[in-house]
Amino acid sequence: MNDSTKDSTLRIEHVSKRFGSGETKVVAVRDVSLDVAPGEVVLIMGPSGSGKSTLLSMLGALLKPTEGEIRLGDEVLSALSENRLPTVRLHQFGFIFQDFNLLSALTVLENVALVAELAGAKRSQAREKARAQLTELGLAERLDFLPEKLSGGEKQRVAIARALINDPALILADEPTANLDSSIGHEVTRLLRHIAREQNRSVIIVSHDARIKDIADRVLWLEDGQFKDMVSMATDPVCGMAVEKEKAVVAEWNGRTFYFCSRGCRNEFVEDPGRFTDGDDV
Amino acid sequence: MLRLAYRNLFQSKVRLAMSVGGVALALMLILALDAVMNGSEERLTAYIDNSGADVWVAQSGVRNLHMVSSWIPAEVTDEVRDVPGVESATPIMYLTAPVGTKNEQSLAYVIGLPKDAAMGKPWRVVEGKAVPEPGEAVIDSSVAERSGIRLGDKVKILGQKFEVSGLAEGTSTLTNSVAFISMKDFERVRGGGKVVSFVLVKVDPGRSPEAVAKRIEEDVGGVTAQSTQAFAEQERRLVNNMAGDLLAIMNLAGFTTGLAVVALTVYTATLARRTEYGVLKALGARNARLYGIVLAQALYSVVLGFAVGLAFTLVLSAAMPALDANLPMQVGVTSLLKVGGVSLVIAALSAVLPIRQIAGLDPAAVFRG
Repeated sequence: MNDSTKDSTLRIEHVSKRFGSGETKVVAVRDVSLDVAPGEVVLIMGPSGSGKSTLLSMLGALLKPTEGEIRLGDEVLSALSENRLPTVRLHQFGFIFQDFNLLSALTVLENVALVAELAGAKRSQAREKARAQLTELGLAERLDFLPEKLSGGEKQRVAIARALINDPALILADEPTANLDSSIGHEVTRLLRHIAREQNRSVIIVSHDARIKDIADRVLWLEDGQFKDMVSMATDPVCGMAVEKEKAVVAEWNGRTFYFCSRGCRNEFVEDPGRFTDGDDV
Repeated sequence: MLRLAYRNLFQSKVRLAMSVGGVALALMLILALDAVMNGSEERLTAYIDNSGADVWVAQSGVRNLHMVSSWIPAEVTDEVRDVPGVESATPIMYLTAPVGTKNEQSLAYVIGLPKDAAMGKPWRVVEGKAVPEPGEAVIDSSVAERSGIRLGDKVKILGQKFEVSGLAEGTSTLTNSVAFISMKDFERVRGGGKVVSFVLVKVDPGRSPEAVAKRIEEDVGGVTAQSTQAFAEQERRLVNNMAGDLLAIMNLAGFTTGLAVVALTVYTATLARRTEYGVLKALGARNARLYGIVLAQALYSVVLGFAVGLAFTLVLSAAMPALDANLPMQVGVTSLLKVGGVSLVIAALSAVLPIRQIAGLDPAAVFRG
């Protein structure tokens, strides 16, 4: 991962977005604030028309807020000129889309290499990086395939490879499981979680898919352009389930708070906490 | 990015074939017309170029052959011979008149030749003699073939019947041919005293035709003298001026057709990939790069169309003599450069609309489905 952005925290402060004016004015996002730390997975849910896409566009430097500030580390993205935004998107953000949005005329390898080339890599270098990235995601046998020859899960993995190719600090995923069956969807969400945990990248997911809650550190509910009820998630150290902190069974040990899905898990933990405190962050 | 442009274009084979075919036909229209003009131009001045003369002396103010008459006193020939730098001089008579054969009449430059003509006679005779005797005529072989005329047959020139005594080659153009009769017959038919039309001059070795022409004008009154090169150039310019409007219209038609075809192809190709361009924008591709893809697609279409159009034209040029000897085609470098330039303009213009489309794309639309 890029050293300069390794510890980048995405911070949005009192961000609003209005479209139109006068009687036709629409406030898509109103006074939203949020911090996303490196390695964190944030899930944003909400009904259609709640402002999720607008918020995601602003987070991804595709749209400027009407008010408020968006920062990535020390850089104020909302203050950058339009001319600088493409470079920021190319180097700091990885995008994953609901419809995969691969370029149909290019092969799997070319789809990924192209984005590296856009960021300034030489062709051979870009292809080498793309080959390594795709191989890591289990697509070594599909490098020369056109997207139309791939399954949905494979397409989404290519899209993830493309999102990662320029070593971004943040991954923005728009309904990444919407066009996948449940087992493939689960595989993709696990992959996103792995990317966050192992590569220390922030992952922001907008989705209607409640199963993604399992891998999210936080779940935010956006309605009428505002976060209504912020739900923090934690992982049960015993069974590994994602649990909402506010509804979880709690235990304190060694100065830390642990969250459990049930009393059974808590009791098992309390009997021998040392067994469960190595490994995954709780 | 060039790879993407190439792949985008070649992914839809039908659209590509239609585009390349359309451009090829449009450019072929321009190329073929130019080739016909080039070929005709060369034939047009064939008589002048092959006359063997270095200088043409004509009635004052006459600077070419086509659609003019030139009459100068016969004694001018001797005056010209006396000018320093003149090696020899041959007078000829000239009129534009129809040659009547068995079943048709065709327009011809009728040339009256003296018996001992050293210049101005047919330069490639395929059958019979080069210089006709009184009562004889030498006509173009393709005219003869078309009319079924053979040596010994009769043709009608300037209202008189002549026996065909020779068949010449390379003496026909798109609009007319060259027919030769004797000076004696020409004088008899025309009447009106001792005159000639032109005096063809051979200059002394090492002398400049231009300098000798100037000297002739100074020493002999009432004449215009030009080097053969200048005389031929005047002839070409006149005919080009006459055909200029037609040429411009046909070129415009070719240009417009080519532009429409490429513009439509590139526009539909861009429109079909609107979402993909939006995705590229969202990922961080700058507009200039995307414009480059569109331009490259237009350029690929046009270059392919140009190549196919040129190949068609060359095939047509090669096949033309077998179809009609009077329509010579010659693809010239100037013509290739012109059509190449036109192709580039077509490519650039056809990319304008798709580029506007891309410029207006909102990258945030990728999240709106």
